Amino acid sequence: MNLGFISDLHLSETDTSLTNAFLDFLKSHSSNLDQLYILGDLYEVWIGDDDSSSLITSTKDALSKASKAGLEIFFIHGNRDFLLDSSFAESTGISLLPDPFFFDYFGKKIALSHGDMFCIDDTEYQTFKKQVRSPKWKTEFLNKSLVERKSIASSMRDASKKNSSQKDLMIMDVNINEVASFFDKHGIDLLIHGHTHKPNIHELDGKNSKLKRVVLGDWDKTGWCFYLDSTSQNLEEFKI
Amino acid sequence: MKIKSIAKFQKKTTLLFIGFFCLMSCSEASNQQTVLMENNMPIATISTSAGEIKIELDKENAPISVDNFISLANSGYYTDTIFHRIIEGFMIQGGGLDADMQNKPSESDAIKNEANNGLKNDRGTIAMARTMDPHSATSQFFINHADNDFLNFSSETTQGWGYAVFGKVIEGMEVVDSIALSPTMVVNGYQDAPANPVTINSVSISE
Repeated sequence: MNLGFISDLHLSETDTSLTNAFLDFLKSHSSNLDQLYILGDLYEVWIGDDDSSSLITSTKDALSKASKAGLEIFFIHGNRDFLLDSSFAESTGISLLPDPFFFDYFGKKIALSHGDMFCIDDTEYQTFKKQVRSPKWKTEFLNKSLVERKSIASSMRDASKKNSSQKDLMIMDVNINEVASFFDKHGIDLLIHGHTHKPNIHELDGKNSKLKRVVLGDWDKTGWCFYLDSTSQNLEEFKI
Repeated sequence: MKIKSIAKFQKKTTLLFIGFFCLMSCSEASNQQTVLMENNMPIATISTSAGEIKIELDKENAPISVDNFISLANSGYYTDTIFHRIIEGFMIQGGGLDADMQNKPSESDAIKNEANNGLKNDRGTIAMARTMDPHSATSQFFINHADNDFLNFSSETTQGWGYAVFGKVIEGMEVVDSIALSPTMVVNGYQDAPANPVTINSVSISE
């Protein structure tokens, strides 16, 4: 069984090159992958499943076609598209997974996450996350008109950009101790996540064997995908 | 005696003819070889609004890509196309869009990917651009602005095919640098589009 893992595409109306690259990716991987895991931030922003912009329509259509062609697609929410909901999943045939999600693969225990749960040094972000993920905040936001939601999302994004540019990069990265205790607590062999935009494969010393943390790259000038099958694993960068 | 002379003359003549034909055919073979060797490395001169870029085309290792490029160059297809995607330290891509960032209809069918020819995507090499389908290149090409190892062939799979290098810049790398360093902006949803497009005026081939 061939698996692919991607994250942090940050698709938006303003960048058609990236959207085309994703549509192209789905088309070309429908036949050579059995399962595709999207580990969050597929979209730059998600303001509700009732948004029907051309970006949403074209990507929904492509996801639906790929699902029907036999590619199983799984989705974990990112910090940008955490409002993506079940009606999107139903209409495209993809499955929403909790964060973190665990599964066994050829005797190895694998954990998947968007990755922001490990960035505990960024206390400001963690407080914000707690606030916007509360059922109350979500309900209040989704009850607003589409125009209002777009406006709120836009100002939140601007504030986030301004904030990020002033923050120490170390603070926005994962906390290594948090990652290590996650490995210990859940007894996993491989952790795959995105969010930090620092693609790499990190090795950790386990009790009996080497453990691995795969960090997926964001799609920008190039794209990234981690490929896993029974005999090999590769973090690949490709041209867009 | 007479008969002997004639026989001797005939023998000499025959030897001369054999020698002559041998010389002719050897000379022809040698000429053919020279011509073939020259044909394996034709030079493409890309005249742009920013200057000339001379590219040595590697017909020996990438015959399909080179033939396709020469055919499009000779038909004038590349005239008035621009370098539409510019990323300093990565590559500059052109050969498919006009100055209004509109796609020029393709004049060639998709060609077979020749990235398994051993040529690497090193700085200054030219390669065929494509979609994620490995065998989908038509007219667009890019010039590597750095050693892009991740674009090289690794296996005959969707993710491993890489990008087919079919030549290298032999003159005018400073023109490539100037394009790569020029300012970019977002145009019609294309990131990394040139703020001041560099146009290809012509592509001429000398074989």
